[in-house]
Amino acid sequence: MIKSIILLGLAILSAPFFSAIILKVKAFFGGKKGPPLLINYYTLLKLFKKGSVYSNSTTFIFKMGPMVSFASALTVLMFLPIAGNNPIVSFHGDVIFVFYLLGLGRFFTIAAALDTASPFEGMGAAREAYFPIICEATMFMVLVYFYKLTGQLTLASYFSGSQPSGLWHLAGAPLFFVIVAIFIVLLTENSRVPVDDPTTHLELTMIHEVMVLDHSGPDLAFIELGSFYKLFFYSTLLGRLIYPFKTQFPVQDLCLFTGSLIAVYGAIGITESVMARFRMDKVPRFVLASFGLVFFATILTMEFIR
Amino acid sequence: MSWFDYLFFKRERVFMSLLFLAVIIIVSGGILPTVFRKQFILMKAAGVLSISVGCLIGLGYAVNELFHPGGSAASFTYLNRFSLSFQTDGLSAFFLIAIFAVSMMAAIYSFHYMNNREKPWKTAFSYLFFSLLVASMALVVTAGNMISFMLSWEIMSLSSFFLVLYNYESSENRSAGYLYFIFSHVGAMFILAAFGVMYSHTGCFDFTAAATLPDRAKMIVFLLFFLGFGSKAGVFPFHVWLPHAHPAAPSHISAVMSGVMIKTGIYGIVKMYAILGLNSPIIGGMVCGAGMISGILGVVYAIGQHDLKRLLAYHSVENIGIILIGLGIGMIGVSSGNNIMTVLGFTGGLLHVLNHSIFKSLLFMGAGMVIRKTGTGAISCLGGLLKKMKVTGITFLMGSLAICGLPPFNGFVSEFFIYMAGFKGVGLDKTSFIMSHLAIISLAVIGGLALACFTKVMGIIFQGEPRHGFADNLDENEPMMLLPMVLLAGACALIGLFPKLFFIMALKGVASLGLVHGEMPIEPFIRMTGNITLAAAIFITVFLLLLVLRFFLYKGKPVTSFGTWDCGFTQPTPRMQYTGGSYGASILEFFEPVAPLSEDHPAVNGLFPQKTHYKRHISDIAEVHLGTVIVKPVLAIFDKLRWIQHGDIHLYIAYILLAIVVLLFFV
Repeated sequence: MIKSIILLGLAILSAPFFSAIILKVKAFFGGKKGPPLLINYYTLLKLFKKGSVYSNSTTFIFKMGPMVSFASALTVLMFLPIAGNNPIVSFHGDVIFVFYLLGLGRFFTIAAALDTASPFEGMGAAREAYFPIICEATMFMVLVYFYKLTGQLTLASYFSGSQPSGLWHLAGAPLFFVIVAIFIVLLTENSRVPVDDPTTHLELTMIHEVMVLDHSGPDLAFIELGSFYKLFFYSTLLGRLIYPFKTQFPVQDLCLFTGSLIAVYGAIGITESVMARFRMDKVPRFVLASFGLVFFATILTMEFIR
Repeated sequence: MSWFDYLFFKRERVFMSLLFLAVIIIVSGGILPTVFRKQFILMKAAGVLSISVGCLIGLGYAVNELFHPGGSAASFTYLNRFSLSFQTDGLSAFFLIAIFAVSMMAAIYSFHYMNNREKPWKTAFSYLFFSLLVASMALVVTAGNMISFMLSWEIMSLSSFFLVLYNYESSENRSAGYLYFIFSHVGAMFILAAFGVMYSHTGCFDFTAAATLPDRAKMIVFLLFFLGFGSKAGVFPFHVWLPHAHPAAPSHISAVMSGVMIKTGIYGIVKMYAILGLNSPIIGGMVCGAGMISGILGVVYAIGQHDLKRLLAYHSVENIGIILIGLGIGMIGVSSGNNIMTVLGFTGGLLHVLNHSIFKSLLFMGAGMVIRKTGTGAISCLGGLLKKMKVTGITFLMGSLAICGLPPFNGFVSEFFIYMAGFKGVGLDKTSFIMSHLAIISLAVIGGLALACFTKVMGIIFQGEPRHGFADNLDENEPMMLLPMVLLAGACALIGLFPKLFFIMALKGVASLGLVHGEMPIEPFIRMTGNITLAAAIFITVFLLLLVLRFFLYKGKPVTSFGTWDCGFTQPTPRMQYTGGSYGASILEFFEPVAPLSEDHPAVNGLFPQKTHYKRHISDIAEVHLGTVIVKPVLAIFDKLRWIQHGDIHLYIAYILLAIVVLLFFV
């Protein structure tokens, strides 16, 4: 339990660092030096020191949006088995709660965006409401698949201890499909290229960034932190699937887990560097591919298990 | 027998008469307003008070009956020939709780909502039919045989028909009422046919004899019941009347109709399933499949609606779908002998009945407030109401979160149990796996779509800037309209945070069905409700801690307000905001095959273009095909038979004689 709390604390502190890796990788591909690895901490500090400007059109929901989405991302981390250790809270069916809690965060992010009466933010909100529907279907398909393999319905039973390697034993190669599918979901849910471009300069083409245009100061810092945690959540799932082993030595485990995380973040950076953003109407097909992959994995594995 | 014996030894009878007392007080709440119609306020007060007191007594009766089941029953003879019997079991008591609670809220809401002083008769009669509706719903779920069921069912259909016709002045409302009339009576016809088949095998009007039917007959009977009750519940494709009837009816009536009346259809399906004792896996698959289709299509059509109450009506279709998914999974559990799946599926479904009745009536009341104040229900004409209508806005927000199934509100609880039932089914044989797996994916998709739909409703109606000028002088000074909304919103949060008691209530309802084989420990289920409470508590703690943190972060910092960032554009107008149509457009394009889209947009051309317009409409495929596949052929046939109706009374009498002669051959 104490170990889990320490790990959660480490995760909370280090999530912004990992996100900077993406920037570094992108800078490397662009032949640039790139910002320092601690850039996100500097940004957060700067934002926390500032005050805020609120639009005249907004209501209390605009202020609640960042708080709810941040609180949901933070609560989700408590259910997450970090580095193969047991999470702080875990119960039968917690996965359902986790994904619905992320949904709650999304509801308020969208509501806060629509609160500003800005057509640009409305546009972003409409997209934010649309694409994650397919992601949710994919993630629940993954859950069905994992449940079929293990008979369990907790994040801990899939990702803590020696279980991910157990999944590999049970499922074998089809698990690659799941990895790719979760990676697509990760890109979509965390507004990365090729679904969304966080660095673009045209509001019309953004999803997540345009929704937070009017937030400033500590509110914006909460939003940024929340998105770091959400990315950390999905990356941990992937990291454990890529490196499923657990040894007797906690420190070694932690280092190797960090390595797998860096690999996932690096992969995001590479994807962002070598791909362009899809046209908006092409995105659903891309996201649907993830659903198809998990679906095939399930069908294939049904034969294996029998 | 002394009164003492009567009170203390004939407990059953006393308690059953408590229900009848409630019904009588409720009906008198309908009759009194017709007497007091000269004094408008007195009339309303008499109606509201009497109906509320009756509902309160009924609520007490139902709660007591659920927790201390006495199996109370009563019967009367009717027309010397038939017996009217009523009895309350756990399932009836569970539905009675929802019926009385929501009706009471609606009655209170109506006090300030019904404010048409010019036509007191209209208000008086609306109270009469409202009280009849509430009383007949209570009788429907306690009916013990076919005769009493059919009688109460018809009173329910007819009284709600007159309530839909409340605003009979507009022809649109009249045709909505007509559509509802046809649907409810075609549905009743199927139910009657099912009863007929049952009677032909058993020879008695009692429900209990149905278990002795041969298997083939059972299948046919259940299918007929499913069609009949499905059309009342609003299962796709029999939901066509819903989106027409709800906008026509007054809002508190929509709340009762959508919140509880359509649930009597669900009651019928569950009840008939239990008494028939069906065991075939096809039934579970059928109910579950119907649920998935209703669920997904209901919410897709909801996204495409431009009218608030129509949108909410389509959400009823969606939620009936979720309930049916739960029940269907439970039925698959019954046929595969998996007790846990049975309990979770049925309990989740029933709990969703209660939850939906709470948040849907809340949302309809909120919609009623919006329409009353702004004079329009057109979503894209509204905007920015939250600033002026705080209580309505916040309760509506809570209702929206609940209907999206988001924690920590009540919609999540019931969906959680349905998910758990579904996952249980994933571990079973192939058919169960396919159905449960599809059910889980549909629930996930429904959840996502509902989120999209209700962010649209909140965002376009309550947030942003007013799209028309009417938002300037808005208020919400009707305490009797706000009170039920606040209470219902409180109930949403209460069930979401502490679902244990309510889960046990649903569990008691399921237990009375006798679907579970052998002993079933309930501790594991209770633990699940504890987990939901724990998870919700963690989230709320984190949220509150963050609020404190935020307070300190903003302490002493400059906080200013300014216009929304408009990307450098200097003259923004509220008309530039995203509309409901544009918000849902890309999602609807994805569903185009099942939700055909028609647009009307004259092209803009030339240097000085004429004024143009843009109109889009989502057609409901059930409505479209109903017209071409059923209505047209039926009309064609009856057109050919028109010669029978010639208006000559002598020949009509001859028809009657002929019919009697022909019948004599069969009797």
